[in-house]
Amino acid sequence: MKSKGIKKFSMFFALTFVMTTLVGCAQTTYKPEFSDGLVINLSGGDWGYPSPYTHYSRGPGMFKMRLIFDSLLERGEEGLIPWLAKDYDISNDGKVYTFVLNQGVKWHDGKDLTAEDVKFSFEYFIEHTPVVDDLTIGDETFIESIDVVDDYTIKITVKCPNATILSRLGATRIIPKHIWEGIDDPKKFTEKEATVGCGPYILKEYNKEQGAYRFEAFEEYWGPKPKVDSIQFIPVSDNILAFNKGEIDITGITADLLSKYEGDDEYAIMQNPAFWGYKLMFNMDRREELKDKNIRYAIAHSIDVQELIDKVARGAAVPGSSGYLPVDHIWYNQNVRRYDYNIDRARELLKGKDLELNLVISNSEEELRIGELLKISLAKSGIELDVKSVDMKTRDAMVKSGDYELALIGHGGWGGDPDMLRRTYATGAIPGYSNEEIDKLADLQLMELDEDKRREVVFELQERIGGELPLIPLYNTTGYIVYRPGKYNGWMYMFDHHEVTHSKLSYLEER
Amino acid sequence: MSNLGKFAIVIIIVIIVLGILSPLISRHPHNLPSGSALESPSWEHWLGTDDLGIDIWAQICHGARASTFVGAGTALLAGVGGSIVGMLSGYLGGDSDRIIMRISDMAMALPDMPTTIILGAFFGPSLKNIIIAISLYSWVAPARLVRSKVLAIKEENYMKAAKSYGANFWHMTKVHFLPQVLPLIAVSMIRLFSKAVVVEAGLSFLGLGDPTSKSWGVILHHAINFKGIYFTEYWKWWLVSPVFIMMSFTTSLAIISRELERLWNGKIEWI
Repeated sequence: MKSKGIKKFSMFFALTFVMTTLVGCAQTTYKPEFSDGLVINLSGGDWGYPSPYTHYSRGPGMFKMRLIFDSLLERGEEGLIPWLAKDYDISNDGKVYTFVLNQGVKWHDGKDLTAEDVKFSFEYFIEHTPVVDDLTIGDETFIESIDVVDDYTIKITVKCPNATILSRLGATRIIPKHIWEGIDDPKKFTEKEATVGCGPYILKEYNKEQGAYRFEAFEEYWGPKPKVDSIQFIPVSDNILAFNKGEIDITGITADLLSKYEGDDEYAIMQNPAFWGYKLMFNMDRREELKDKNIRYAIAHSIDVQELIDKVARGAAVPGSSGYLPVDHIWYNQNVRRYDYNIDRARELLKGKDLELNLVISNSEEELRIGELLKISLAKSGIELDVKSVDMKTRDAMVKSGDYELALIGHGGWGGDPDMLRRTYATGAIPGYSNEEIDKLADLQLMELDEDKRREVVFELQERIGGELPLIPLYNTTGYIVYRPGKYNGWMYMFDHHEVTHSKLSYLEER
Repeated sequence: MSNLGKFAIVIIIVIIVLGILSPLISRHPHNLPSGSALESPSWEHWLGTDDLGIDIWAQICHGARASTFVGAGTALLAGVGGSIVGMLSGYLGGDSDRIIMRISDMAMALPDMPTTIILGAFFGPSLKNIIIAISLYSWVAPARLVRSKVLAIKEENYMKAAKSYGANFWHMTKVHFLPQVLPLIAVSMIRLFSKAVVVEAGLSFLGLGDPTSKSWGVILHHAINFKGIYFTEYWKWWLVSPVFIMMSFTTSLAIISRELERLWNGKIEWI
């Protein structure tokens, strides 16, 4: 009887608590403007003003900008597909790229898009580097010259052919010449005109404080008709609660909640490909001892990746590959060196040395938990971690500027072109790390135009990287998403990306 | 003292003992996984485990340390410090009184939680800094209470007599002020104690506390931020435990301070 009383008592307290939290949410709920047609609501958050110069350099920022700005090619389910360019041709020597544009493409302000705009966009991006810079390799651009053949044909000559040029040219956003011509400092250009694009959606509202965006379909869009009339990003405090209340239309869930949605016709579940992951980075400038391969091996052997996956990702992840490219990548090499969880081996490699290292992580719940587990398991091998958690944007900036000893960072894009290996590992990418062999192979894969030969080089490069271990890929997430197909069923993945809401094609009619 | 008051004192003592003896009382460590993730309460794990497989009972016991540390620290720093300031201000009067009271006005005008958040973020998250941050604005209440009491005492005839016999500040404090303001100080220190516990938990809950401290607020923070915890059964032990202990603790403190006020009612007229 007494225990029952206590149970009731505690239930009452918990309920009061939960209810107060919920009331809190209800009061802050963002009430979007009423609009006709199909409205898709997604979880908000401030990712910057969606112009090519002012969005935040992470997936949610990039794809919002891409809803507004089209590019010559688009990422489809299987690979690159013709988009603004209906056709393209590459010369035999791989130096001249000719794109033929679709006709009748309009800017959001009603003006026509011509080859002049395309030429202008490329030149402008070379002069003023945008957030996502596809036109620079190393320190300089690979473009030699851009010629307008006629209103709808453009010819781009490159300095030296390489394997990534088509995807780089294809991904570059096209911006209206008549608006950007007079802009000298694009990073400060946040007028309404800065988001006039030629893409399927127009930015109607942006509220930085609330992290709210509203996009509406562009009626005169040249391409496949938008199926969704309006896309709204609304601030919610808890995605899963908001999804259940019908405030948002798609959410990520953990494996614990699968049973709640499985077998119910109202819901559909998809599992993301492993193209989002966490990695542990070393700054070998700050800590010279990390230049010793054995120390890096010792750290890798001290990490129980399976435990991280079971506890933090709740099982929905795959172990990272020491060669970087994740299991789901088309060019994943399974013969890379593996580092099992083995404390004895780690101790052996450390040769009795005690290490004290500072680890910087963001303040997301997952990273706090990973940080805690890393601290516990590294302590077993005699490596003391001092974990410091900062705001996500601060951590990103610290990683970018090399202001860390060890850093934990999670990000997407692991399914992209294998040239990411060069950007991640070549000299200059990891502070204090340089390896001739890796540099050589990284350049080789970039220059190799033959697909099969390039694949071989990339495979060798992965093995080399796995043996060197200049950073440790921890795990790649394969999270579940759930949505209501009765409301909207158009979600689809891009061939190299983990997230359906980031795909422009998710919102458009099939062609 | 009423039975309720005695009961509250027992609860406070039990919680403080839990904190002090936490390594002896809990058979599992508070910082290392000792079971699999999210086990429900059992004989082995009385309150179950959290997502990392760490025993929650052990964390609650250990969390009592962090919470009482912050509470006691704030009560001492702000309570004693504030009382001294109040006494000086009331005794000295004149310009020094005016200056001290205007400073206290400023401190009082600041909204508590936002100020703590900013100070906490500025000094960096650690229990010590949280104590300082909370103390920076909560010294005002005891200071003003003590000042008004001292002002009243100062006007008594026996005080004037004492002064004419050459009693200095310390003598008067020892013999006249302290015995009369002590109940005031005690009550406001208990209030500060429970306020500090709640503010620390609030900060940790927001993720601004000391993540390594394992205070009750930190347990709550991790539980609440577990994706979709409301739709699993995990909240029944992971979320309820810290909420329950925090509520018992602060409710008991509130009851005690009320009881003390009642006990001393004859001596203190301000109620």
